Amino acid sequence: MALSKEVYQAFEDVVGPEFICDDPAIMPSYHKTEFAAVILPENTAQVQSIIRLCNRFKLEFRPVCTGWTGTFKPGVLYIDLRRMNKIIEINEKNMYAVVEPYVITAQLQAELMKRGFHLNVKGAGVNCSAMLRGHGHLDQSTSGDDRNHLAIEWVTPAGELVHSGSLGSAGEWFCGDGPGPSLRSILTSAVPPGVTPGVFTKAALKIYHWPGPTKFPVIGTSPNYELSEIPPNFMARYFSFPSVEQAWAAENKIGEAELAMELMGFNVAMVAANISTSNEEEEATFKRLSKEVLGPGFFVIIAGNSAADFAYKKRALFHIVEAAGGQSLKSLENPRTEGILLCQCIRVSASIRETFRPGGMFKSIPVMGQRDLTIKWAIGAGKAKSPLIEAGHIVDDGGASFGWGVEQGHVGKTEIFCKFDPMNPVAKEAVQKWYDEQSARAYKENYFALLMPGHPEDIGKSLSNYHVWWNAIQKELDPNRVSPEAGALV
Amino acid sequence: MELTALKNAMGPERVICDPSMLERYAADISFVNRVRPVSLVAPKTAAEVQSLLKFANETKTPLVPVSSGAPHFRGDTVPGVGGALVVDLSGMKQIMMVDRERRVAMCEPGVTFAELIPAVKKAGLRLNMPLLPRQTKSVIGSILEREPLVMPKYQWDISDPLACTEIHFGNGEVFRTGQAAGPGTIAQQRAIGGVQKAPYGPGTASWHRLIQGAQGTMGIVTWMSMRCEILPSLEEPFFVGSSRLDELLELTHWLVRMGLVNECFILNRTNLAAIFDDDANSRSLRDTLPQWALFYTVAGYEYFPEERVSSHLVSVTEISQRLGLEAARTAGRISAREMLKTVQEPSADPYWKLRPKGACQDVFFLTLQEKISGQIAAMTELAEARGYAATDLGVYIQPIVQGTSLHCEFSLFYDAANKGERERIRDMTGAATREMMARGGFFSRPYGEEARAILNRDAGTVAVLNAFRKIFDPNNLMNPGKVCF
Repeated sequence: MALSKEVYQAFEDVVGPEFICDDPAIMPSYHKTEFAAVILPENTAQVQSIIRLCNRFKLEFRPVCTGWTGTFKPGVLYIDLRRMNKIIEINEKNMYAVVEPYVITAQLQAELMKRGFHLNVKGAGVNCSAMLRGHGHLDQSTSGDDRNHLAIEWVTPAGELVHSGSLGSAGEWFCGDGPGPSLRSILTSAVPPGVTPGVFTKAALKIYHWPGPTKFPVIGTSPNYELSEIPPNFMARYFSFPSVEQAWAAENKIGEAELAMELMGFNVAMVAANISTSNEEEEATFKRLSKEVLGPGFFVIIAGNSAADFAYKKRALFHIVEAAGGQSLKSLENPRTEGILLCQCIRVSASIRETFRPGGMFKSIPVMGQRDLTIKWAIGAGKAKSPLIEAGHIVDDGGASFGWGVEQGHVGKTEIFCKFDPMNPVAKEAVQKWYDEQSARAYKENYFALLMPGHPEDIGKSLSNYHVWWNAIQKELDPNRVSPEAGALV
Repeated sequence: MELTALKNAMGPERVICDPSMLERYAADISFVNRVRPVSLVAPKTAAEVQSLLKFANETKTPLVPVSSGAPHFRGDTVPGVGGALVVDLSGMKQIMMVDRERRVAMCEPGVTFAELIPAVKKAGLRLNMPLLPRQTKSVIGSILEREPLVMPKYQWDISDPLACTEIHFGNGEVFRTGQAAGPGTIAQQRAIGGVQKAPYGPGTASWHRLIQGAQGTMGIVTWMSMRCEILPSLEEPFFVGSSRLDELLELTHWLVRMGLVNECFILNRTNLAAIFDDDANSRSLRDTLPQWALFYTVAGYEYFPEERVSSHLVSVTEISQRLGLEAARTAGRISAREMLKTVQEPSADPYWKLRPKGACQDVFFLTLQEKISGQIAAMTELAEARGYAATDLGVYIQPIVQGTSLHCEFSLFYDAANKGERERIRDMTGAATREMMARGGFFSRPYGEEARAILNRDAGTVAVLNAFRKIFDPNNLMNPGKVCF
């Protein structure tokens, strides 16, 4: 898979010898695929030169930001964007930030909080690139998916530099759409299975008002982080309900009333994961909490702009929960536990402890869309986990799904996963079977279609033949097909 | 043009070739060239739209889709080339769904704000609207044009409130965006409780963004679903009048940033007077008004609305006092309550922009807080240099997308019957567009004579858009001559 001397030299001429490598001893430290080489550009001009060379040599490339996950074909050029790590601008008056690909959410969030702002934190964690498309715990009040992007600087697969929206016409970052039809139609960043071809080299993101302290009051050392105090006018609670329907009714009303900074449809297994520091502690906590809850539930953070706003939100929140037959989980009202959850959900992204720690691996079916509809589907998918739990193939989480409202409940995310030991082939096979069956049911019963790499014909046909259009677009943008699809780049 | 096949397909009476009828579509209030279409068809169903596209592709006939009724202002519904067939969708009037729990409605392109507002209101919902659209304005037309919305708080994304849509691309293929794409037909989706709310996909792309802002150059939209907001149970409207625009902008920033207000925009006294013009008495009304008026509403919903409103007002008052500004229940003779009632409906007839002088040309763009005052000063200077009284210039400032930018709209009111004045306004429009671009204004919606100059500033985007359009409309039939196509 190694590059010829001539080709290697051409790339080296762009970045210098320190920032390109095809040493077989180094390649595996990135991913298990055999890459042609790893190259680390410093700026947009270098990215553009690299991509032009890729076109000249018909060499496929994959750009990577923080590299949480990804699938890669052997022989591709791995463009590691870690040197592009600058916050370009924080525009307070117009509420956006401009970042390079390797600026991580934690870094940007800390800078924003100093100025009274924060941003959407993707489920993959604050250690991941801030600019990428995704969803997370704060979607209720900070949107998600591709809806936080404004203008984007984009090097196309053919090596052209395109500035979307106001950046292209006015040299400013405040708008990503126009003139005319919006390039944001395809500049949607990286989400499995498809990604925008080419490389994003800078992006402007919407930022949001932060009513909390300029420095998040985290104390302790890993894994025992907690808060020195609950910030004024902040509160975190977990509410459980006798049924899914009652939980949904309350979730919907909280969205309509615009009460929550975060509304996260955790199950108690996930709560347990976030407030414990080991698998043993997590299991015990899960069993204890399971006895305390009425049934399904959600975690809520409210944050007031003032004491009066906080008092109103608190009153309305408890009124809605009570009317829906719910109750607060008393053992989580302890300020220390409350602080841990605030820290996990705002500063960290609670997904981290929930996912890999218990089993080593997880397999997930995530769905964006109409929340009540996807909840309906997830009930069946949860029941289908029971035999796997009973057989000991997956971690016992009560068979529950999770999810949350986005944009004060206008839309939502629902997700369900199985946590398992990847070294156990029987478990792996059972989880794959569950995944295949539940995906097939979602498709057959018209809930949603999971989109797999390569866009299988039958799914594409049932979704307005979108795959045909998308392939045509890719062909236009990437005539030499050097920017292969597949893989997330978070 | 061979219209026999079309007459056979649609019925001869449906294909209108009467010159007096066609003349209505040959020009509008803008300054684009007069081009009379060769015929006009008003489809009633998606199937008829399909027939039209089939005919157009077979005969290479350009199509100009039109959803709203006259008067038109921006030149996008006037054929850009000869031999065109106008597809008038204003007769497609069905409101297909209003769903209170999921906060969504769905309708056809002929449905106007005047028709949809009562339908959603009945269900306890409201639309996030543009400022006082004319009576004949199509809701879908407005959303496709990415018109600014008066409640920036509820505009999370510039594409809002678009949820899902069905488009018949120029090559005749039908495509549904977002959740509506599938799996299943719309009826099958409804059967399990699906309401076509989520805008994402299908796949990686956000297809609806390619259709918005296209001025009908990608295809013909036959329905759209749109997110709606909850109807407040309590609304408290306020004006803040001032001669200091920068302070009003600062207040606006904080109100939007903290999510304290629903309706929120700034008008200068000329525009405010035009909206409330009674019997051409606007000048005397105007003299009672502050130079600039910020209008905002604080709202309460289902739970403890008074408490919500009063808690928000605590913050609003604190910010206002810090800036030395004071909210009032009136601006001159106009009450805030009257203003609220007015902006929650389409404009009464005659359309408010036609009231002062019978015609109006708008120059609008997106900009930043720190640039807008300089742009307004430059526009005022430019108008005066051309003998247009600065006091006659209407200015509307609308924060959009939760405060990430400002829509700035200059309204040049004029007498269309006065040929000299019309030419002066035409000249001013071009000069103002160039001046605002030079001062950092972003013309995200390029219309009319200025479109080419606007698009020439961004060759990169134009190249990509042209590559895409070839895919969806290979015969270049959809409204050719508009945008960059």
